[in-house]
Amino acid sequence: MTEKKQKINLSITNPKVFEVVKMVISILIALAITLVILFMISDNPVRAIVTILTGPLTKRRYIGSVIESFIPYAFSGLAAGVLFKSGAFNLGGEGIFIISGVSIAAVACNQLTTSGVLHPILCFLAAIVTGGILMIIPSFLKAKFGTNEMVVSLMLNSIYSGVAMFIIRKFLLTTTTSTIGSRDYFKTAKIGYIFEPLRISPCLILLIITTIVMYLIMFKSRLGYQIRLAGTNPKFAEYSGISAFKLSIVTAVIAGILCGMGASCQLLTQTSFYLPEQSLVGIGFSGMLLSMLGRNNPIGIVVAAFLIKYLEQGTSILYFVDRAVPSEIVAIVEGIVILLISSQYFLRGFREKKLLKEGLEKDAK
Amino acid sequence: MGETILKLDKVTKVYPNGTVANRDINMEFEKGEIHSIVGENGAGKSTLMKMIFGIESPSSGTITYKGEEVHFASSLDAIKAGIGMVHQHFMLIPSFSVVDNIILGDEPKNGIFLDRREAVRKTQEVSDRYNFELDVTEKVSALSVAKKQKVEILKTLYRDAELIILDEPTSVLTPQETEKLFEQLRSFKKQGHTILFISHKLEEVKQISDRISVIRNGVSKGTYRNDELTMEQLTNLIIGRDLESDIDRYKTHEDFHNEKAAVIEDLCLERNGKPVLDHVSLAVKKGEILGIAGVEGNGQLDLVRCITGLEKTKYEGKIMICDTDTSGMNIKGRRDLGMAYIPEDRMGDGIAGPLPISDNMISTYYTRDDINTKLFMDNRAIDRISNELIDTFAVKTESNKTSVDSLSGGNIQKVVVAREYNTRPKFMIAEQPTHGIDIGSAEFVHHKLIELRNSGVGILLVSADLNEVMDLSDRIIVMFDGQIAGYFKNARNVTDQELGMFMLGASHQTPEEIGGALND
Repeated sequence: MTEKKQKINLSITNPKVFEVVKMVISILIALAITLVILFMISDNPVRAIVTILTGPLTKRRYIGSVIESFIPYAFSGLAAGVLFKSGAFNLGGEGIFIISGVSIAAVACNQLTTSGVLHPILCFLAAIVTGGILMIIPSFLKAKFGTNEMVVSLMLNSIYSGVAMFIIRKFLLTTTTSTIGSRDYFKTAKIGYIFEPLRISPCLILLIITTIVMYLIMFKSRLGYQIRLAGTNPKFAEYSGISAFKLSIVTAVIAGILCGMGASCQLLTQTSFYLPEQSLVGIGFSGMLLSMLGRNNPIGIVVAAFLIKYLEQGTSILYFVDRAVPSEIVAIVEGIVILLISSQYFLRGFREKKLLKEGLEKDAK
Repeated sequence: MGETILKLDKVTKVYPNGTVANRDINMEFEKGEIHSIVGENGAGKSTLMKMIFGIESPSSGTITYKGEEVHFASSLDAIKAGIGMVHQHFMLIPSFSVVDNIILGDEPKNGIFLDRREAVRKTQEVSDRYNFELDVTEKVSALSVAKKQKVEILKTLYRDAELIILDEPTSVLTPQETEKLFEQLRSFKKQGHTILFISHKLEEVKQISDRISVIRNGVSKGTYRNDELTMEQLTNLIIGRDLESDIDRYKTHEDFHNEKAAVIEDLCLERNGKPVLDHVSLAVKKGEILGIAGVEGNGQLDLVRCITGLEKTKYEGKIMICDTDTSGMNIKGRRDLGMAYIPEDRMGDGIAGPLPISDNMISTYYTRDDINTKLFMDNRAIDRISNELIDTFAVKTESNKTSVDSLSGGNIQKVVVAREYNTRPKFMIAEQPTHGIDIGSAEFVHHKLIELRNSGVGILLVSADLNEVMDLSDRIIVMFDGQIAGYFKNARNVTDQELGMFMLGASHQTPEEIGGALND
């Protein structure tokens, strides 16, 4: 028995190995296609690709920018990962980010405390409570009225951005410029750096801790077990005595809290006032893509977030060197990788041929 | 006879999960014969039929139909070529009439409109030509199982099928209905149709076939004329060894006498205004197996859903598990009282396919202390327990981390039974526990059920397989139309013919006799 356990199948027929191989090949293909495009539009394609891949490492400022900007995306990805893993197609992260931004602004624009430690914490709490409560709505409506959570969550995204605009305009509107945005935050609300040259803030530490906690929840805890069960076969989870309703509420709350944390990190480090149509737009949706890239695994998601932000930084550096290459080229890389790894058929024929051979060999005994 | 209509040459099928379902199958089918294909469940009969009918395509090898090599892209091509298939599970729309079901996809048209009169005329004509005795304007939902099967067969004949594949057609029929079906098949043969008859019931195969092909482990073991094979030789070909003696029956332990594991009183359930359970009362004693026989769809499913707490519609009546009233309890609460449940829909309810065996082995007791530490789950204990269960239940797998859906049906069922066994139940519901699995695994599951019974567990066995019910049960109930139609105190003193009469609704006992199900 013990010998049997030790035997690890490293061939492509092992689904886990297959996943990794598929991921690596997808990235290589995406880079190859990028290179082809660079050959068409750039006079110096080799310099271009080298800049994209190594540019962010050339200056501390560049890598610092990657470190700072990937944090909210990682939180967003973690939130989407929990939801998808539990089988909920809740696309509400985008709206939750925007509406928690309002809560953060409301706390940050009022001098509730003079403590530079307490003020950001209050902002976080406001965002977490907002996110955690509002994320429940699609799951609750699904469980109680059988509505489709995807439709509801997308609808709520629009509603929340409208509500955000309304609240900012009505209660927090800036008087200094004509844009629709909040007043400046009080200085005490802002989060400073621990190590300024690399722009390392307490947010990074929070992200690392959160990632570890999420990993433990997903793979070691009873809650994670329930999420895996319900996400792969909800009927089986019900049969086993797991309450689908309770589980959907708990996962939604967790996802909402993660979104609230992400929004706080973004606003309190990188902005000094809140623009509801700008400051947090797009982070929620990107999180869903990151969750796909990271295969709903917390660590995979955070790594994916870092890599994507790294590539984005690389292309924007390239733009200074080579004006012919638009920074949107990173979207091509992203798109191809996601398309390939989410494709059921990509490399499947190859794997099946292997399986056929192995199956026949085993069968022949 | 003698003209070859269908020829399989070295047909091989490998599924994406690596299972070799068929390997180098060579077979020939002659026009106008009844040709049976036999083999254990999981031997590869169904896959072979799916390839002939265009649902699956062979990984290698060729299929020749009427002298031409064919590559059916879908069953549509097969139907056009003149092949019809009656599936084990009916492919009918219950809310449509017989006519609508039959013409669906091949409607007679009048300009751009459906020519209903022509449709009814043509369908009735085909039905009458083959003596189906069907009113084609009736709704399918109002028909009996046997009649539904007739509709399925009629569907193939309406499309001029020359070759008709019948996949386990008798598994849903009573002995009497089977007899009628066979008469009909013989008349088809006279009219020039070729019948491919799939079954694992050997008596029936011997009774109806001209020739018999045997498949074992995905490999063809040859084609034989019916009269040159004895029953023993056939059995031997199918399982590769002589069949062992029947399940050894132990005596019921007296210790458990009359202690009740579960009591159901006056259970009534309505669905869409129609009663599906009508005052059902029964008791399962500790240390016994109470078998429920009946044609599928006579309330067995609803009964189980009510007892397990999975039924969402409110029922009337009382369900007690281990002397506790379960009203208002969900499945979790009932499981906590000591209920275990082997579900009929193994893939749908019984497992989470892509997850490893270890995860699937603990789902019904994952909160138990022995596999948890304070904060987290104890993965080492889970590994230990799942490996122990894999050993005791002889699950064929490389490791406990293999995803459960890559196992064969029999091994998946062993995983389900092992898990339910390890919940340490006092009351177990076994719903079609050996449906669609190989003989070896089935035997194993039967032994485990008996072992549980002898240790004092009360088991409610629901099965469409009469032999299984008769072999395993101590007492037997027959359900018909949502009611208990018959009750037999001693399972050993009853014949399948007798049970068949009750399953068809031709016999019905008095309330006093049926009362024994609760009071004995």
